[in-house]
Amino acid sequence: MKSAKWENIFKGWDNKESETVHTLKKVPVFKNLSERDFSELEKMMHQRSYASGDFIFKNKAPGEGMYIIMRGSIKITIGTNEGSENTLAELGKGEFFGELALFDDEPRSANAIALDDCVLLGLFTPDLMILQERNPVLGHKIMFNLGGLLGERLRKTNHLLIKEQSK
Amino acid sequence: MNHTQSNYIQQIYRIILFLIGLWFLNLVWPFISDVILMLIFAFLFTTLLLSSVDAFERKIGNRNLSVLGVVIILLGSITTFLGSFISQISLQAQEFSQRVDQDTMTSEFKSLGEKLTSALPSFMQNEQSSSDYLATKLTELTQGVLGSLGSLVGTVGNFMFIAVMVFIFTIILLSEYHSFKKALVNSIPNKYFEVGLKLIYNVEKSVSSYLRGQFLSAASVAVMSITGLLILNFFGANITLVIFIGIIAGLANLIPLVGPFVGMVPALIIALMNNIGNDAATAHMFFGAIPSPFFALDIIFMFLVVQQIEGNLITPALVGKSVGLHPMLVMIVLLIGGTLLGPLGMLFAVPATGVIKVILVEVAFLRKNSHLL
Repeated sequence: MKSAKWENIFKGWDNKESETVHTLKKVPVFKNLSERDFSELEKMMHQRSYASGDFIFKNKAPGEGMYIIMRGSIKITIGTNEGSENTLAELGKGEFFGELALFDDEPRSANAIALDDCVLLGLFTPDLMILQERNPVLGHKIMFNLGGLLGERLRKTNHLLIKEQSK
Repeated sequence: MNHTQSNYIQQIYRIILFLIGLWFLNLVWPFISDVILMLIFAFLFTTLLLSSVDAFERKIGNRNLSVLGVVIILLGSITTFLGSFISQISLQAQEFSQRVDQDTMTSEFKSLGEKLTSALPSFMQNEQSSSDYLATKLTELTQGVLGSLGSLVGTVGNFMFIAVMVFIFTIILLSEYHSFKKALVNSIPNKYFEVGLKLIYNVEKSVSSYLRGQFLSAASVAVMSITGLLILNFFGANITLVIFIGIIAGLANLIPLVGPFVGMVPALIIALMNNIGNDAATAHMFFGAIPSPFFALDIIFMFLVVQQIEGNLITPALVGKSVGLHPMLVMIVLLIGGTLLGPLGMLFAVPATGVIKVILVEVAFLRKNSHLL
């Protein structure tokens, strides 16, 4: 039988992959990261549970960071009154939202509401700043990936705009 | 009962609850104050050491071993410093006691008194033998200081107990810091999650930037004091243990207002011990004009210059901005802290006010934007 003391001392060397790391590996923001990077990232993540219909955040509320869906699904909406609610997107497991709050101090631009009971992972600006200071290589990788995704979205928006203008 | 009345009763109910809370705190405070103080110190040490432990953990991939490594390095450094300091100071004291007995000290102080009296204008020179009086008083004072060192032993025992407890708390906090923080964050209800998270980070940032500022400020005082003392030695001040005196001055500087003056005391004592019997040092003149026996005025002047540089250039740049408090408010909270808890109160007054300020800002924001939560 293994001694509990020794297990405690060497608990950091247990390599079994957690559900958090498993989810993070599917997110494009964290592509090209090593196992060690993921274990460091896991420590920064905040796991939150929401019941169906709960607001994750409201439009115009101050935003602190992005969320990744580990279980369940959510919808992004504008307007909360029945009839005036406009659903912009429905997101499921492995998808992320709210990432703009990582870059600016602007308030949230839409509501995020849980469609069913869900578990989310939160990555917040102060954590990213601390990571940037303590492990710049990992911080740069994440920032570069985020920049790439935002660039891709901008390109798509430009494409749609050009398409609309040429009609 | 209408709505206003109900609100009024609720307010009274809250005030009564608050007063009962204060009374209860006052009742239990004597029993918990020491533990709270230990926890505060442990938290401050944790904040200082956290980045080193995190960096070490990244290298070896194990938290507990990283804490162990950092603690061993820290203990090694402290033991080396203290051991070397104690052996140096005992050597110094041994050499001093061999060189100077009580009679020599009295005659030395007597000649110093005569020199000082003769340097004074004639109308200030007393007819009675002021040099005798000064010599006896100075001897009594020096003997008294040396004698009271014995009573320090009891205090050292108490200090050792507190130090060991702080050390244990620091190890636990360092090892479990991220888990504790996560547990704290997890306890925030979803509605207040992002605001609560921001509050925790702002408090953490305020404390760590204050500590970092203080640490750099203490380091700069130590370096400047060492440089200053070496310059004085160049002019014949004969001050030994320069590095230790510099480090003590840097550490003492952490206590606002009083600290800088405490910092210059060891330098004055060492200068006195080393220069007793040295006629050139006894007759030394500050800038060739004012009598400065044993380079006392030179040392005080040097420390004042260091304090001015630190107080007007370094601290405002490193510490003041980090907490974002008005200088007037800093003075007021220092006085309140000093009155309530003495030097410890002064040490904690500024960061505690910084934390309270961060909490008040967030509470005000919450009250204004509660509809967005």
